[in-house]
Amino acid sequence: MRGKEVVVKRIITLNVNGEEFEFLTEVHRTLLEVLREDLGLTGTKRGCDLGTCGACTVLIEGKPYLSCLTLAADVQGKKIVTIEGLAQDGEPHPLQKAFVQKGAIQCGFCTPGMILMAKAFLDENPNPSEEEVKQAISGNICRCTGYTKIVEAILSLTHK
Amino acid sequence: MNKLDVVGKREPMLDAWEKATGRARFTDDLAFPGMLYGKILRSPLAHAKILHLDLTGAEKVTGVKGAIGGEDIPKKKYGIVPMAKDEYALAIGKVRYVGDEVAAVVATSLDAAEEALSKIQVDYEELPAVFDPVEAMQPGAPVIHEEVHNNVSASIRKEFGNVEKAFGESDFLFEDTFETQAVNHCPLEPQAALAVVDPSGKVTLYASTQIPFFLRRNLATTLDIPESKVRVIKPKVGGGFGQKIDLYAKDFCAAFFAMKTKKPVKFVYEREEVFTSTRQRHPMHIQLKTGMRKDGTILAQQFKVIADGGAYNSTAPLMITLACYFIMLPYRLENLLFEGYHVYTNKPVGGAMRGHGIPQVRFAVEAQLDHVAEKMGIDPLDLRLKNAFQAGAPHPAKLRVQTCGFSDTLKTAAKGIGWEEKRGKLPFGRGVGLAGASFPSGVSNMSHISSGAMVKIERDGSITLLTGAADIGQGAETVISQIVAEELGVPLEDIRITAADTEITPLDPGTFGSGVTLRAGNAAKIASQEAREKLFEAVAEKMEVNVKELEARNRRIYVKGSPERGMSFKEAIKFYQYSDRPMPIIGRGSYQPPAKEPTTLLKEDGNFSPAYSFMTQAAEVEVDTKTGKVKVLKMVASHDCGKAINPMLVEGQLEGSVVGGMGQALYEEVITEKGRVLNPSFLDYGIPTAMEAPSITSVEVETNDPEGPFGAKESGEGTQLAPAPAIINAIYDAIGVRFKTLPVTPEKILQALDEKKKE
Amino acid sequence: MRLPKFEYLEPKTLQEAVRALASDAKRSVLLAGGTDLLVNMKHRVIEPKQVINLKTIPKLAYVKNVKDELRIGALATLHDLSSSRVIQERFPILSHVATKVGAYALQAMGTLGGNLCQGNRCRFYNQSAFWRGAKPPCYKAGGKLCHVVRKPGECHSTYCGDMAPVLIALEAQVRVVGPNGERVLSLSKLYSRDGKRPLSLRKGEILKEVLIPPPSGKTLYLKWRRRESIEFPIVSLALHIEKDGTEKIGKARIIFSAVGSGPVETIGAEEMLESSSLDNRTIERVSNQAAKEISPMRTSIYSPSYKRRMAGILLRQALENFQIPNPK
Repeated sequence: MRGKEVVVKRIITLNVNGEEFEFLTEVHRTLLEVLREDLGLTGTKRGCDLGTCGACTVLIEGKPYLSCLTLAADVQGKKIVTIEGLAQDGEPHPLQKAFVQKGAIQCGFCTPGMILMAKAFLDENPNPSEEEVKQAISGNICRCTGYTKIVEAILSLTHK
Repeated sequence: MNKLDVVGKREPMLDAWEKATGRARFTDDLAFPGMLYGKILRSPLAHAKILHLDLTGAEKVTGVKGAIGGEDIPKKKYGIVPMAKDEYALAIGKVRYVGDEVAAVVATSLDAAEEALSKIQVDYEELPAVFDPVEAMQPGAPVIHEEVHNNVSASIRKEFGNVEKAFGESDFLFEDTFETQAVNHCPLEPQAALAVVDPSGKVTLYASTQIPFFLRRNLATTLDIPESKVRVIKPKVGGGFGQKIDLYAKDFCAAFFAMKTKKPVKFVYEREEVFTSTRQRHPMHIQLKTGMRKDGTILAQQFKVIADGGAYNSTAPLMITLACYFIMLPYRLENLLFEGYHVYTNKPVGGAMRGHGIPQVRFAVEAQLDHVAEKMGIDPLDLRLKNAFQAGAPHPAKLRVQTCGFSDTLKTAAKGIGWEEKRGKLPFGRGVGLAGASFPSGVSNMSHISSGAMVKIERDGSITLLTGAADIGQGAETVISQIVAEELGVPLEDIRITAADTEITPLDPGTFGSGVTLRAGNAAKIASQEAREKLFEAVAEKMEVNVKELEARNRRIYVKGSPERGMSFKEAIKFYQYSDRPMPIIGRGSYQPPAKEPTTLLKEDGNFSPAYSFMTQAAEVEVDTKTGKVKVLKMVASHDCGKAINPMLVEGQLEGSVVGGMGQALYEEVITEKGRVLNPSFLDYGIPTAMEAPSITSVEVETNDPEGPFGAKESGEGTQLAPAPAIINAIYDAIGVRFKTLPVTPEKILQALDEKKKE
Repeated sequence: MRLPKFEYLEPKTLQEAVRALASDAKRSVLLAGGTDLLVNMKHRVIEPKQVINLKTIPKLAYVKNVKDELRIGALATLHDLSSSRVIQERFPILSHVATKVGAYALQAMGTLGGNLCQGNRCRFYNQSAFWRGAKPPCYKAGGKLCHVVRKPGECHSTYCGDMAPVLIALEAQVRVVGPNGERVLSLSKLYSRDGKRPLSLRKGEILKEVLIPPPSGKTLYLKWRRRESIEFPIVSLALHIEKDGTEKIGKARIIFSAVGSGPVETIGAEEMLESSSLDNRTIERVSNQAAKEISPMRTSIYSPSYKRRMAGILLRQALENFQIPNPK
């Protein structure tokens, strides 16, 4: 279906978790593919690949992005944070602690996306209502927990 | 019972940190040098002969390293239930549903593999298809499997007591028809398999599975290689809910190509494939007749159940059998006539899903019971209490129920939802409802039913536990480790666990039938005891006391009642070693449900499970009568889990299962049109989001079952039996309409309200 | 699911983007948030030769007041809309609607321009290549036949955007830039109502900004869907009402989404509402009229009759909300 072969590879530079990565890749590859396959950052999960489950959520300049619907080439020069980069100086992020201690993790497949989504949200709105928390994570599907303990874990970090 | 130190504690899952930090490795997270990527070509037609399969186009795509059709793999059928094997790794001769596997390719990149699929030419001859199970049973209907002429691939007709006589003695008879829908499990992790072959020719398959040992056996048979040449390792699994209690083309194709190419091969399903081509909850058509005595006693029930099995059997015989036998719990029922059929159609395949055949019939029973109660002027709660099964009572099918907290779950759930104050007393549009259920804690099956465990006490005092149990995210490894820690008197952090590796860990049936805690937990408990006994012998010798006087606790071994008379766990090991006893200290444990009793129920009655859990779900709903939207405000999940080894994980099980059940009541349905799934995505399939999740209160009723480790029974799977009827009964309380078809969508509510207005 | 291969352009100016687009308009696509485009590309209903990334063009994401008018750059994200102080104060309804699109991440990624220009949807079109493989491609996907009506040369795909109905109700205009310079047209005119080519943009034209006149009257948006997140509307409604100084209604705008090939304004119902008072009888008549005026097609898992019914119900609810002295 495609026309003549065109130059589709590029050297791209990504700033992921504070580290610069430079590599040659094809421009049609998504950030999710590059993170998982080229950088070995498999904490970012592929649940639907079509932007409807939230498992591939990463932070770009602090905002939640679905990496399955983001071209890797499109986020050069931006600060990308994945679940692997959330801990600071070896100290887990409070959300990670809360998820562990409150039992908000079962199979763990939605967890990285869920935690990053919650982080983006709390950074913006540190004092949300329960309803606002639910709305914030409503694009992150979880089949194990019924969301109960996830919402509890997030709310445990609010200032109310 | 003694005070417990580790069991009964709200411990985070052992692997929660890995999962929270992104270090947990699921199958698709693994990669090996030179790895090939596989894709499967699926049938676009519901029923067709494969006239010709031309793979040459695919083979020419740059990067493609292999392409195969069904004829290229040994022609051995596979199936999760041995007597019902009816599937080939890839279709041979014909395809039976949209999504059936036709061919597979492997390539050096996914891009190439995907491109190769589009280059495969298949000539089909379309055959008449049948999508409705009732039509499929009629003479002259298209035959989906040549050897099954009426498309009924499994059936059961069982009578307990004398139903006709009991109906004759009944004061009231009720007859209703119910329909349930197809539901997808929606584990967040799509099915995946990664095969690696070592120089000796042995295949190691990393797979997203609930049943590593079954998978090993089926791989060996289907690929025609000795079982010793297959090793299955289960990495982290992102949820299963029954969908991963099965074998899939990805498993066989990964192993086959790895053997063929000598390279690692990975297959990962797309979300759409999870919807169309794995397994789903069987839709059922249920006719139910119930005979009641004036005093509210359920005298007899008669069922005719037609389950839409889709194109293949999967667990067909077991599913329809469970549907039958679990009518007779959690209520006393002396007279039951059950006629059930599993029928092939040209649709996605039914399989085990949380509750496995029981939620559908439980919905029918519980919804009808509310109607019965109303007609007879009895409170639905009282009616249930009156008929509630009690521990130790004789069971018509010889199930041996040693503990039963059903009545307590009814009472606590009713109290939690505010039954007294609310039932029938809330304003129009608001209502409460409840429903009960029972579930086995581990099921017998025809292949193997025992779990093994091995506990090693290392020189430094740490403990290594080997178990075959397959943790799929429910926390099995944590719970089993808690049991071991408790038995050995050490903190949980001293336990290291290796699980679900067919080459290293002892045999285990896998994660199904809600039996892991009981079965694998008991095995680990026995193993711990054996290891502890060995250590105790040495300590007893040193301290010159009887072994029976010793106790292990808080990393110490001492004389019961006198903690000062003893030594530390480490000192004990040191002494054990210096007294020329062989290291390491190994305890072995196997657990099998009590002798003579186990039965699959497929051929004869008997005690199916070592223990039975009981539960009641209560719901409060709000129905917007203008739009038909139902909001579940609150659910109370009261569950007799015997003993909560880890209450936090039990709550998690209940909460997740309740929301899944709510999805099935209100939102979820795999919709097909001429066999094609119309909504194979999270966008169009109504899996609940956080916005739909109600407030949930979990109540653990503890009955300490003598067969369970520390008294534990199942939790989680059984929980999904009752939310749907509880919600449907609450909707009746809210708007006075009884729904008999799931899911109850806003559209159906509006229609029903219209009809009600006309009346 | 991999994306198809393409050439990738990162223009630095809008002019550059326009030139690139005009050079091969049929085989080019514009990338903004990507939340609609990349899904369609993975499904292979769009296989462009070149992808032109608009995000590399500076200064297209803004929210600003120019005199009385509010101007929003096409690359402003939906999340920018919901979190912008200016919009929250002057057009709270826009902030509200932006939170109803998809879910949080989709709002952070998705742009206003992309939302307005999103592709029409259909159950035969928004499916994977495998799914669509059983039938010849539909008219929209490059084939001959529309599978919805089983007729050639037609496309009945449905516009399902959330932002457009409200912005049309607010009488927003859009500025587009093309090879022949800029032009401003009413947002309503952006939509061709042709399912195959739902936008009336000319060759090489790119949506640059949205212009919203000063607020007047009251606006409501009601979105009907099964779950309160992720989903597109089954049907949604923007209702805008201005009183005429008395108890009577001066001006009314009623615009639906997800019931036609573009946003659908029910003019008959609007006329019926204008210069009437909001009594129960009027509400009943107007709602029925609106439900009659729309012609939804079976382009989703929901039936046309259900969409029609819900359209009437939503309008009734919206109008009843206006009966309350201080509507939300």
